[in-house]
Amino acid sequence: MRLWLVRIGLGAGLLILSLYLWRFAFPSPEHVIRKQLSALARLACIAPDEASLVKLAKSQRLASFFTRDAEVTVDFPGRFPQSITGRDELMQVALTARTGLKKLKVEFLDLEVKVGPDGQSGDAHFTVKADVPGEGTPQVEELEAHLLRVDGEWLIQHVQNVRTLR
Amino acid sequence: MTNVEPVSEPPSWLRRLVIGRNPKRTLVRMVVWVVAVVLISRFVLLPIRVQGISMMPTYKPGSVNFVNCVAYLRHPPQRGDVVGIKLAGRHVMYMKRVIGLPGETITFHDGHVFINGELLDEPYLKFPCNWEHEPEQIDQNEYYVVGDNRSMDFYDHEQGRSKRDRIVGRILL
Repeated sequence: MRLWLVRIGLGAGLLILSLYLWRFAFPSPEHVIRKQLSALARLACIAPDEASLVKLAKSQRLASFFTRDAEVTVDFPGRFPQSITGRDELMQVALTARTGLKKLKVEFLDLEVKVGPDGQSGDAHFTVKADVPGEGTPQVEELEAHLLRVDGEWLIQHVQNVRTLR
Repeated sequence: MTNVEPVSEPPSWLRRLVIGRNPKRTLVRMVVWVVAVVLISRFVLLPIRVQGISMMPTYKPGSVNFVNCVAYLRHPPQRGDVVGIKLAGRHVMYMKRVIGLPGETITFHDGHVFINGELLDEPYLKFPCNWEHEPEQIDQNEYYVVGDNRSMDFYDHEQGRSKRDRIVGRILL
């Protein structure tokens, strides 16, 4: 009886381990997009005393998360709408921000991912929280991103802010 | 012949204080408490920490409060209620006061709020305000929300119409 129970336990353990390994080896597109966006948030953070070369490298890496024709449009109330088009402009904006800010902490919260039926495109909806030293309150914005699968890699094609209060 | 039975010593007062007389019962009680606290803090009373100055002086930055997520199960939000409004999810919420109800028209003139042309009495406002904003129609299933600190610039202050499904609940304290 006991041996029987041990066998069942071992079988269940093996099944869970196999499922975990399967998910690790063949992650779902949702999981890949989540990982990608989490990596982007980490990359957007600015550590104090970042060397110039590191700033440049991180800005280039950040731009590589986007498609070549990517477009970022943000329209915050009371400020002029901003639009950034293409990887080069994105890299320049990222580099300018890294040069101007001493420290920045970025988090993507409440990330919700939907993959299209074709499996080649996806949409992400999340809240970005940016903590800038010196500013008492963290900046929060609701964003939507559209991603495309390009050469097996999920890249952001379009980002826009969502007006929580209209 | 004398039989000697081992006498078990009574548990020390410290052990009794920490895990009780019956450890099994204590464990069950602990599990019940933990489950109850997790369920309540997720689905009934959501703990929050206030950040920002838009609800000053009613709610100061750094203060802790709760969102009562079951407050609007039986009735819709009322004018004057302070509510939590979710963004993409519940990790970050706006804390605002409901001043306009579905179907109403709201206007800001000389810092005062007019609902369908009638002045709204707002005793909770303590700071001066000079906001001007043209009449705005609130759609059905929407509420107009704003903070209590209207000494800020109109466009620096996050306010406007919120869909009903974004309102998570009423602020408890």
